[in-house]
Amino acid sequence: MTTPTTVRPGVVRVGDREVTRAEVEDFLYHEAQLLDEWRLDEWFTLFEPEGRLEVPTTDGAGWDATTAGYFVCDDYDLIQARVKRLKSRKAHAENPHSRTHRMVSNVILLEGGAETLWITANFVIHRYRDGGTYTYVGRYEHVLKVDPDRLRFRVRRAVPVMESMDAGARLSFIL
Amino acid sequence: MQQTPVRPLGAPGGGALIDEDWEALRFRVHRSAYREPELFQQEIDRIWNHTWLYLGHETELPRPGDFKTRTLGGRPLIFCRDSDGEVRAFFNSCTHRGTVLCRHSEGNTKFFQCFYHAWAFSNSGELAALPGDDAYPDDPGFRASMALRQVPRLQIHEGFVFVAFDPDVPDLLTHLGAAAHYMSLTAKIGPHGLTTLPGVQLYSVKGNWKLAVENAMDGYHFAPTHNTFVGYLRETGFAVTDDDQYAYDLGGGHGLLVLTGHNGRIGMVWEPRFGDEEKARTTAKRQEMESRLGTELAGEIADASRILFVFPNLLLFDLEALTIRQLEPVAADRTDVRAWQFVEVGEPESVRALRIKTMVSFVGPGGLATPDDIEAYEAVQRGIVATANPADPAHDWSDMSRGMANEKQGNQGRSIDEGAMRSFWRHWASVVGVPTSVAGAPPTVPSATGPSRPKGE
Repeated sequence: MTTPTTVRPGVVRVGDREVTRAEVEDFLYHEAQLLDEWRLDEWFTLFEPEGRLEVPTTDGAGWDATTAGYFVCDDYDLIQARVKRLKSRKAHAENPHSRTHRMVSNVILLEGGAETLWITANFVIHRYRDGGTYTYVGRYEHVLKVDPDRLRFRVRRAVPVMESMDAGARLSFIL
Repeated sequence: MQQTPVRPLGAPGGGALIDEDWEALRFRVHRSAYREPELFQQEIDRIWNHTWLYLGHETELPRPGDFKTRTLGGRPLIFCRDSDGEVRAFFNSCTHRGTVLCRHSEGNTKFFQCFYHAWAFSNSGELAALPGDDAYPDDPGFRASMALRQVPRLQIHEGFVFVAFDPDVPDLLTHLGAAAHYMSLTAKIGPHGLTTLPGVQLYSVKGNWKLAVENAMDGYHFAPTHNTFVGYLRETGFAVTDDDQYAYDLGGGHGLLVLTGHNGRIGMVWEPRFGDEEKARTTAKRQEMESRLGTELAGEIADASRILFVFPNLLLFDLEALTIRQLEPVAADRTDVRAWQFVEVGEPESVRALRIKTMVSFVGPGGLATPDDIEAYEAVQRGIVATANPADPAHDWSDMSRGMANEKQGNQGRSIDEGAMRSFWRHWASVVGVPTSVAGAPPTVPSATGPSRPKGE
C-alpha cells in the first residue's frame, strides 16, 4: 500500500518524523499485554486527552458514532469511567475477570497526517469465563497521535467481523 | 412465618408452577419455568404462535423495496416495504421446495429470487418468474397458489410493526390495551416523529427470555447490580434515587415502570453530563412540546422515564435516550436480543451524537450497565440448576413476593417491588396453560391503566 506519506514499505512520514511498522506493532503488542494482564490504569495512559474508544455494531457499514448505534462510543471521560468501573469488584460482569488472550497481526500503516497515523490490524481475542469460551474476531482501525517519543490513541476502534455477539459473548471487557 | 406445606410441583409432576399466597404474602415461581425444554416448546406453541409479536419498526424500511430478514419465534421472515410502499411480512421460505428465499440480512429489491430453481417473487409476494413454466398447469390458479406466504396478520401502532402467526388473534390495539398509550407518548417526543437508526446491537445471552423480562421490570436490582453505573452518574453530578417511583400492571402481561430518579432525559429533563448547550435546548424543547401537545400531555411525556414491556417480546426504554429491545427466545437457556437506537427525526447533529453516546454508555453488551444485567440472567440460569431435585422439591422456587403487604393494603406497587413481575407471570401462566395455586384473597386490582389515572381507586 502506497500513499503520498509512505516513505518506503512499512514506513510512513508523520510531521517531521518517520514511523515504522515495527514501532506500531510494538505499541499494539504492548497494549494487548496490558489488557490481557488487566493493567487498566497503564492502558488508559495510552490515550491522549480527547481520545475515543469505539466498537461499531456487527451490521456496521462504516457509519460513524454520531449517526448510528454502536456497542461502545466512549469519549475520554467515559473511557476513564469504564476503567474505574472495571477496576471495581462491583463490576459484576467482570468479577472475576475474564481471562483473555489476544493475537494482533496484519498490521498496515495506511496514511500519515500532520500529527496522526491511520493504521489497521487484525485481532483474534479468546475469552474464557464460567466454563464458556468465546472468540472475538475483527480488525482495529486506529488513529494514532504521533509524539516525538511515543504513540497514543486518538481513536481506538475495534470492528468486530462476527455476524452478531454469540451467546454469552458480551463486551464487558476491552475489545 | 411458618413454612407452609409445599403443593405438588409443576413440571414434571403436574402441579402448580406459580404459588401465590395472600395470607402468607408469598409469590414464587417454580424454577422449571426457566429450565425445561418441554415447557419452552409449549411457550413457543402457546405464546409465539398465537400472540401478536413485535417484528420491527417501519422506519427500518424507509424506501419502497427495502427489506430486512429477521427470525421471530424461530421462523425466518422477510420484513419489507413493497414497491407501492406497503409494509409486509413474508415467511422467508420459497413456496416451491422451502429454501430460505432471501439470504441477505438487509437490502433493497423489487424481486426475491430463489437461487435453487430460480423462482422469483415480487416484493408484494406474487410469483413473478417460474422457469420452465410449460411443464406446470396452464392455470392462473396454480401461479396464485404459489405466491409467497404472508404472515397471517400484520398491524402497525405508532410505527411499531406487529405480526401474528395465528389469523384469529384479536386486533392489535385490543392486544396492546393500556400499553398502546405509552407507546404513543414516546412517539410524540419529536415534533417530526421518531426513527430507528442503523447500527443494531445483535447479541445473545445464555439465559431464559423471561429473565430478561423480569430484569427490565425489576427496579430492586438497580442499585446493587448497577453500583458502578450509579457511581459514575454520581461523579457526573447526578444522584440516583428510587423514592416515589412506581410499577404498573397494564394487563395482558404488559408492564410499566415510571422512573423519575434514575436519569435525566435528553431534551426533556437536564442532568449535568448532557452539557450546557443541551441545558438551553431542553428549555426550548419543553416550550415546543407544550405548544404542540398542551401542558398536561407534554408533562406526562417529558417528566418521567418509562420502561415499557409489551408482552411477550418488546421492551421500550424511554430513559436518558431511547432504545427498542426485542427478545427472541432460542432455547430454554438462550435468548437472542436485538436493540435499536430510537431518535428524534430532524434533531441537531450534536444532540444525535449526545443521544447515541449517552444511551450506549448504559445499554447494550458494551455499556457500563447492561453487561451486569446479562451477568445476572446468566448467573440465574447457571444457579437454578442447583436446586432441580425431585427428591427435595421444597427449595426449587424463585421468590417474587417483595411488596405484597403494601399491595394488599391497596397501595400502588413501587418500582423497587416485584409487582410488575408478578403480573407478568400470572399472565404467562394463563397463556401457556400451566397450573397455578392461589391462596387467600388477592387485593382488588385497580383498572390496568397505569399512572395517568387516580391511584388506588
